[in-house]
Amino acid sequence: MKIAAAPGAADRTFAPTHPAAVEVRDLVYRYGERRALDGLSLAVPAGAIFGLLGPNGSGKSTLLSVLIGRRIAESGEVTVLGEPLSNRQRARIGMVFQEPSLDPQMTVGETMDLQARMFGLRRDAGAARTRALLDRVDLADRADALTATLSGGMKRRLELARALLNSPELLLLDEPTLALDPDSRLRLWEHLLEANAEGCTLLLATNDVAEAERYCRTVALLDEGRLVAQGLPEDLKRDLRHESVRIEWVEEPSDEVAMMEAWPGVGHVRLAGHTTHVTVDEASPFLARLFQQTGDRVRGVRIEATTLEDVYFQLVGRGITSPAGAEGGAS
Amino acid sequence: MNQATAIVALMKRDLRAFLRSRSQLYSSVLFPLMLLAILGTGVSDGLDPKHIRDYVTFLTPGMIAMTAVFSSTFSSASYYQDRDSGVLKVLLASPHSPRVILLGKTLSAVVIGAVQALLVLAVAAAIPAIHFRWQYGVAWSLLAAVFAIVVLNLFLSGLGQLLASKIRTMQGFHLVMNLVLFPFLFFSGAFFPLTDLPVWLKVLGRLNPLSYGVDMMHLALYANGDGGYFGLPMDLAVLTALAVAVFYFGTSRSVSPDR
Repeated sequence: MKIAAAPGAADRTFAPTHPAAVEVRDLVYRYGERRALDGLSLAVPAGAIFGLLGPNGSGKSTLLSVLIGRRIAESGEVTVLGEPLSNRQRARIGMVFQEPSLDPQMTVGETMDLQARMFGLRRDAGAARTRALLDRVDLADRADALTATLSGGMKRRLELARALLNSPELLLLDEPTLALDPDSRLRLWEHLLEANAEGCTLLLATNDVAEAERYCRTVALLDEGRLVAQGLPEDLKRDLRHESVRIEWVEEPSDEVAMMEAWPGVGHVRLAGHTTHVTVDEASPFLARLFQQTGDRVRGVRIEATTLEDVYFQLVGRGITSPAGAEGGAS
Repeated sequence: MNQATAIVALMKRDLRAFLRSRSQLYSSVLFPLMLLAILGTGVSDGLDPKHIRDYVTFLTPGMIAMTAVFSSTFSSASYYQDRDSGVLKVLLASPHSPRVILLGKTLSAVVIGAVQALLVLAVAAAIPAIHFRWQYGVAWSLLAAVFAIVVLNLFLSGLGQLLASKIRTMQGFHLVMNLVLFPFLFFSGAFFPLTDLPVWLKVLGRLNPLSYGVDMMHLALYANGDGGYFGLPMDLAVLTALAVAVFYFGTSRSVSPDR
């Protein structure tokens, strides 16, 4: 369903009017001594679904906080929708936070009404857009329910509806599907894709590789506040070895990692407990050699398509989804 | 973007939450009235204070001040609830400065505190055992009492915001508010006159902002022909200056949704 932009928020269409929705240059932000953003530069094209991909602590959420004005960068330039960030500029941005952000004592309708008033929507315009958005996210019949009574998926959809109330040109999403069940994830993404189809740029922070590959047209890989790589997921994977083999060992391997690294056609070997993840030019000769030399120590193997996780590992030397230090291996 | 609309929306939200919390609403009125009945009667009959001709009526302005103290403490604590529920960061992501957000929240605290205190005043006025003197005439005395109540709430809500900027947890905030405000209440002239106290307590009483509010309400409601401990001009000047300054600094503080 296509929903008209909020008339009170701005008389504009969703059509992007700027070449870059977000542009940051040499951005530095510190938490004490630690640099959460360490000279980060990147540009998010208008109308894109852009994923910031990296492990916890890589600077994704900090970047979103800077873009919404919650944190002030120590140095660097920030341009959002063609202008430096200001209070007024936030009228054109929506944000879905990582953690829950609903008042349990307010109803669904009151939550939307407060947002409408905060964004200067006229009462009738705010009410009309609230009805349309609640209808879109299947919460129209829960308008009088306290937010405390909603399920996790419903709360997330309400947060999304709230973020879309001001017809934002840019929507910032910090791990929007975290802790949602698969069905709720799917439904949330349907709504996000609808918003994007209407011209809203989506900038998404995530460490969910599969989600980023599936939905993001462009991804930026971040590590310790720096940009490691940026591009289309397919382009980023193209430079990588073509196949990926997952090996389950009977016992935790010791010499096998170094041994496999020395084999021709082997890219990267990651070790996580009794499992190793190996990128190779071709799986067949690799597997033949593996069974020949270590056959009795292998419990099972699986050939997988390479993912952005493999790209990240090649560039950074550790994975996105595993906690720091959980994986060993070398590249 | 209309800041007044945002401030009114924030005030409506907090007022609605207050009205929904029936227990807070009822206890805020019943507790001071209960104290008036128990403490007022107990002291009047049991201790027979020599210098106070009508202790229950004398105590009423103190109970109104106490209502303002409790109410501002509870209302200021809503800042922590908003921070912990994540609502604060949503508000800060709106196209308004943090000052507008804080102003909306603090003004709602002032309104809630003032309404509660006025409710106590209204109920007390209807109790036969309490004899307000209205020495400036009913209208002017009432105006003076309402002014004292509003300005006292401005001061206390601003103070609440100042303390909230320094204290990380709601538990710590309540602890410090109690630690600061209870002594303020005790040597403000709310429970006993400052006149007969030892010099060191008189000095503390003079330094205590609540004393001026209580004195003004005593003048408006209890006194009959006397000029009060500080006098009306002094009460007005000190209370107004302090309230404006503390409210200004309280609503100018930096706000972070992360602490």
